[in-house]
Amino acid sequence: MTNNPVLEISDLYVAYGSIQALHGICMEVHQGELVSICGVNGAGKSTVLKAIAGVLKPRSGSIRFKGKDVTGSKPEHLHKLGMALVPEGREIFPSLTVEENLRIGAFGRRLDKSYAADLEDLFTLFPILKERYHQAGGLLSGGEQQMLAIARGLISNPDLLMMDEPSLGLSPALVDQIFELIIELKSRGITILLVEQNAQRALGIADRAYLLSNGKIEYSGRPQDLEGSVDITSVYLGGQNGGDV
Amino acid sequence: MNAEILLEFAINVLSMGSLYALISLGLVFVFGICQLVNYAYGEFITVSAYVLYFLGAFTSLPWPVVFLLGIASGVAVGFLSELVAFRAFRERSLDALLVTSFAVSVILQRLFQLGISPRSKAVPIPAFFNMNIQILGVITPLRNLLIIGTTVVLLTALVLIMKYTTLGVAMRGASENFVTARLMGVPANLMISVAFIISGFLAGVVAIFWSARTGSVEPMMGATPLLIGFIAVVIGGMHSLPGSVVGGFVYALIANVLSLTLPSSLLSFRDAFMFAIVIAFLVLKPEGLLRGNYQEERVG
Amino acid sequence: MNSAKSFSPKQESNKRSAVRDFIEYFDFTRKSSTVVFLIFILTAIGFFIWWLNIPFIEDIFTAATITLIMTLGFQLYMGNSGILNWSYVGYVGIGAFTSAIFSMTPAVKAMQIPTMYPFLINLHLPFPLALAAGAVVAMIVAAIVAWPMMRLSDAVGAITQFALLIVINVMLSQWSQVTNGPRTFTLGGTQRLTTLWVALGVAVLVIIAVYYFKESSLGLKLRATRDDRHAARSSGINFVAVRYFGYVISACIGGLAGGLYSHYILSITASSFYMSELFLILSMLVIGGSMSVSGAFFGTLLVTLLRQGLRQAELFLTRSGFEASGSTEIVVAIMMIIFLVWQADGITGGRELTWQSIKRRLPSGSKKRDKMIKNKKQEEEA
Repeated sequence: MTNNPVLEISDLYVAYGSIQALHGICMEVHQGELVSICGVNGAGKSTVLKAIAGVLKPRSGSIRFKGKDVTGSKPEHLHKLGMALVPEGREIFPSLTVEENLRIGAFGRRLDKSYAADLEDLFTLFPILKERYHQAGGLLSGGEQQMLAIARGLISNPDLLMMDEPSLGLSPALVDQIFELIIELKSRGITILLVEQNAQRALGIADRAYLLSNGKIEYSGRPQDLEGSVDITSVYLGGQNGGDV
Repeated sequence: MNAEILLEFAINVLSMGSLYALISLGLVFVFGICQLVNYAYGEFITVSAYVLYFLGAFTSLPWPVVFLLGIASGVAVGFLSELVAFRAFRERSLDALLVTSFAVSVILQRLFQLGISPRSKAVPIPAFFNMNIQILGVITPLRNLLIIGTTVVLLTALVLIMKYTTLGVAMRGASENFVTARLMGVPANLMISVAFIISGFLAGVVAIFWSARTGSVEPMMGATPLLIGFIAVVIGGMHSLPGSVVGGFVYALIANVLSLTLPSSLLSFRDAFMFAIVIAFLVLKPEGLLRGNYQEERVG
Repeated sequence: MNSAKSFSPKQESNKRSAVRDFIEYFDFTRKSSTVVFLIFILTAIGFFIWWLNIPFIEDIFTAATITLIMTLGFQLYMGNSGILNWSYVGYVGIGAFTSAIFSMTPAVKAMQIPTMYPFLINLHLPFPLALAAGAVVAMIVAAIVAWPMMRLSDAVGAITQFALLIVINVMLSQWSQVTNGPRTFTLGGTQRLTTLWVALGVAVLVIIAVYYFKESSLGLKLRATRDDRHAARSSGINFVAVRYFGYVISACIGGLAGGLYSHYILSITASSFYMSELFLILSMLVIGGSMSVSGAFFGTLLVTLLRQGLRQAELFLTRSGFEASGSTEIVVAIMMIIFLVWQADGITGGRELTWQSIKRRLPSGSKKRDKMIKNKKQEEEA
């Protein structure tokens, strides 16, 4: 861990119209870390990612990425700087083929030898995408689409990979596969910010975690310490996940 | 019905349909990217037609140069109108965008009236355009075949661009999901500018063939192609590029069939019938013949 | 927000609460004062112009009052539903032709429009009933065609309404047996029936109608669908039905305005009810503020003054040798765009002119206002 965090958020306020969604969020993500943001539905997890990625303009506060102030930047600009977001609900371009989806993910990159090499590398992680390379994204299964969404994020070689609910709507077997994949990505040294509703699984693999509730951070620290205090767990992680901790 | 009549009918439908396909394609390019139903599109065509008129009547430039400059002026007006008028509204409501394009259309029309003339001007078009030629016993002006040929070439080029260049792939992605495309690094301004440039380019090509057919240009000439574009777009589906091409040909087919079958007393109501069909279409099948893969989302 | 109060507390069902309901519904300082102010301003200008007794200015005022009625009808649907109704001027046209056909005597009709259907030639009604007939026919046409279109929204909805306008326009301009086709339809045989006082009287009634429509429960529901269609739906509002009734009532007022227009101008064609007319009332509503009745009122007032001023300048320029005809529309269009960019709710900001809003601007009220703003700021900071 270096002293300069990859991502540094301080006192972030975000609102949808007149409805305040985030009330002064502070967080940081360091090089090579896997940080997880957990909380119930509507706690503001996705809002944090959208604000970081430039989809939502913060009302106040600052976002620093790789030491640069990027508050209020456009999404395309942030992508160029090295952020990649795997959006909630996957958001595959349905009529575009897998190849074309990946090409948009690599927008701004020359399609040269290094691209081809990265693509081959991705195929070792996601062999199914090689099989489906010329099929329309909309025809893939949910799990395959999630693979594609992650691959589309990785193809730009991001310095920070953000994932919004990657396990949403997938079967338990596929959820296992996604989490194994995240561990693999982490072992390759990729810095990851993960938003998950499946808190138990997310906390199981995260280096650090932030617990969000009603747009505020209720807890931050190592997941092991968090799981020690049962009362917080049962309150914030929801019944089915928190109940059997 | 003998073969010659059938062939004549086919040539009419194909030539009209080609022109209408180009018109509606120009509308859909902009609509697909920024959800704007561009009322000023007709005026893009008028601007190009005026440039054709001025260069043809007052200079001795060879016609290919005149045509190229005419198309270039369509590109310029498309690009500039987006920059000056529409960019400020990108994040506003749909109605604000619509009203703006309506206002831009009015401004351009009045400027033509004021700066040029309220009366129509004859556009000099090379003579071979209107030369009659005979194919398989059917006599037709050469421009009918030229528009078919031009459309085939342009559509092929567009398909290749949209399929095989990164910019084209990004345009298709952006028209399906603008926000996600931006998250992948696709710049919003570039996409919208390119959409308006392509729209203006098509308007320039349409201006050549439209004024070849009518022989003249006047301040309000954009209204008719605009309406045709609307209908064709609606029939084909607002979110699909191939759909808009299909819509153009279907429109030409319906219009020709109505012309042949309506009794002469009702012929003057043809447009009313056309638009009644459009309304029925919209009510019964709001997504059009070909449904694009558009997801409900506004440009941010 | 205003009308939320108009719901009565149900538990007290005695006479006193009925009276209080009544008073609350017409709550003067907050609501009904708008109607009184608007009517007062309009009537005052009317009397002043009548006193001036300059026919040219009287004509401008009468025409502007008719336009005001059109804009009010347009506002009734657009302001409350948030949907721009492109077909509206079509209903104005229907009302104009219908009332003209009814009010002309059979002999004149037979002479002016020989192609007309015999049964139409024989119809004849006195002027007030002919006006009503125009409004009713416009309403019936709207009632027949509108229902299936009401569930369409956004771009598809806009194009549908636009297509409907074109259908109406083609019918009006081609149906020789009814409208004299593309030729001018002249209302011969009568003097101008829409006088200053007729226009003024109808305008007063329409201001009242449009304002209390907005405050009625139908108007409230319609505004709820504007603000959030899904939320309105989930709280039991049938947005198709609500929009439908708003649309039909708006068409009715449009038809009424059309009747007044044709009996003022005395010769009409289908092209009088098309893009340029639509552009005119749209510019008034956008500049005034589409969300409020006061917006329609002051927008009409402002744009009329602006246009008259510009027209004079235009005439002057043309006389001195510059070609300037049409520059009025350019200025109005540019103004409209400027308003859309910087002040999308128009000069009224989407609010009504009420006794309270005036009081707040008066010096004695400004202290209170400052205090209110201060309080609000503190709340926000907290």
